[in-house]
Amino acid sequence: MKFPLLELFLAELRRTWIQFIRYPSEAIVGIFIIVITFYFLFAGASYIAGPDAGLSGASGSERLEVLVVGYIISILVISVLSTTSNSLEQEASTGTLEQIFLSPFRSLTVFIMRAFASLSLRLVIVGISLTAILLITGTQLRFPLALVMPLGTLLMSAYGMAFAVAGLVLVVKRVSQVLGAVQFGLFLLLGSPVETMEGWGRAIAFCAPMVPSAGLLRDLMARELPLNWGLYGIALANALFYLGLGFLLFARSERIAKQRGLLSGY
Amino acid sequence: MKILQAQGLGKTYRRGGQVVEAVRQVDLAIAPGEILAFLGPNGAGKTTTIKMIAGLIRPDRGTVAIADQNPHRDPHALRQLGAVLEGNRNLYWRLTPLENLEYFGVLRGLSRTEARRSGRELLERFELSHKRDAAVQNLSRGMQQKVAIAVALVHHPKLLLLDEPTLGLDVEATQTVKGLVQEIAASGCAILLTTHQLDIAEALSDRVAIIRAGAVIAEQPTQELVRQFSGASYQIELEGNLEELLEAGVRSRLESQGIVMQGNRLFVRGAEALYEVLELLRPAPIFQVKKDAADLTEVFLKLVQES
Repeated sequence: MKFPLLELFLAELRRTWIQFIRYPSEAIVGIFIIVITFYFLFAGASYIAGPDAGLSGASGSERLEVLVVGYIISILVISVLSTTSNSLEQEASTGTLEQIFLSPFRSLTVFIMRAFASLSLRLVIVGISLTAILLITGTQLRFPLALVMPLGTLLMSAYGMAFAVAGLVLVVKRVSQVLGAVQFGLFLLLGSPVETMEGWGRAIAFCAPMVPSAGLLRDLMARELPLNWGLYGIALANALFYLGLGFLLFARSERIAKQRGLLSGY
Repeated sequence: MKILQAQGLGKTYRRGGQVVEAVRQVDLAIAPGEILAFLGPNGAGKTTTIKMIAGLIRPDRGTVAIADQNPHRDPHALRQLGAVLEGNRNLYWRLTPLENLEYFGVLRGLSRTEARRSGRELLERFELSHKRDAAVQNLSRGMQQKVAIAVALVHHPKLLLLDEPTLGLDVEATQTVKGLVQEIAASGCAILLTTHQLDIAEALSDRVAIIRAGAVIAEQPTQELVRQFSGASYQIELEGNLEELLEAGVRSRLESQGIVMQGNRLFVRGAEALYEVLELLRPAPIFQVKKDAADLTEVFLKLVQES
């Protein structure tokens, strides 16, 4: 075999998409929930704030755009996190997880290929949800090419977190409840425009996972600002740190799981 | 030459403040084409041993070599290994058998083309070609197990680990899986089989290893072990009731020699006594004479209870 990693990636891609296409109802329900949740958040916020603080007019429109970008980023990150840990829990209970560890490929390699494969599906689902939200709210966002860069760093950080959670699943097996709390925290963190903070708050916010990338995405898509290279450098360093940390924690968890015999008995 | 060589395997767990020695000094070796039945009561250490062999649990002591490669140090050793693990589905239920074979083939290091070719051959060999496009979740339990075995073989491993392969299968599916296991061994693959169905172990295995409380207490060729535990008792069955066929004098002589009589049967201890009894029975019509042989179940129970 000439390109084993490419073969593995394509196998993961086929597996992911076949399962999606064969049972599309789950994805359709997922998209519906994402859109309807945003609609009620939007309607609720408008109602509570009242017409004076409305999300219309020039500043209101920017606020809404920032809200949409923040919401969609949160959905993407949460779906990356929950898909990774849920599928791992599910595979552990059905026995396919052990089969993955019987592969001559390193398990980290297999899961990285899986992450790439499932990302293609996640992006399609989030893309459809975003289109529906834009149509419902009449919002317009910019999609400049430079968007790819902070989106890449955002996903690197998100997958770093996902690998750390996946490692936790290998050792403690059930993380659904902990994950719920983490997701809520991330939803708040990524939905708030922390990039507009000043002083120490700003510095601390930029050390939090994914926050600098989310700020850049809001600047590019909602505020129509050009890419801030200084901030991008911070976002890249942040992404590399969390991705590395995620890989490290996953590899360490795998060692612990093998040492304690935890790869089975779920 | 041995495909599997496990030497001095040991594993200790610390759980709830207690130290549990799950596996102690286990040595196992299997040659190509050989079936080793690895038997033991629940919690004896079978699954821990199998998972140490498969690289899923790191042993505290000892070494594992699959075709001379250590799966804990060299992941390429896993190319020589296939496994169907107990209590698990081992398959993606939403995929078809062929899609599972293709996916797991690539995961084991084959190209898609190779995996597809090997998958089609296995489906044909396992008489599953007509189901190759049905989702696994719609197949019967027996067919799912056949697909799981096929998946374990898709990359042509030299060693196959089968942990309770007939668990939960009906009689017909059990017979099919038994046939497959024999066929796989005949093709040269070494097989490590665990099962609680001892009749299956006896019918399939070349050798038996019995583990209890983490240690192997017996390891021998199956028939030799059974023979060792078989007594020198004989059973003579007549073509009618003993009281009708034998005179009272003959019956009392047999009784005085310690022969047990029941209905149309006599139970005799030792070969010499057998010939004496046959003389006494003449000319009563004899239906059959057979030696009382132990089966693996008796051997297993004796060994496990004695130790």
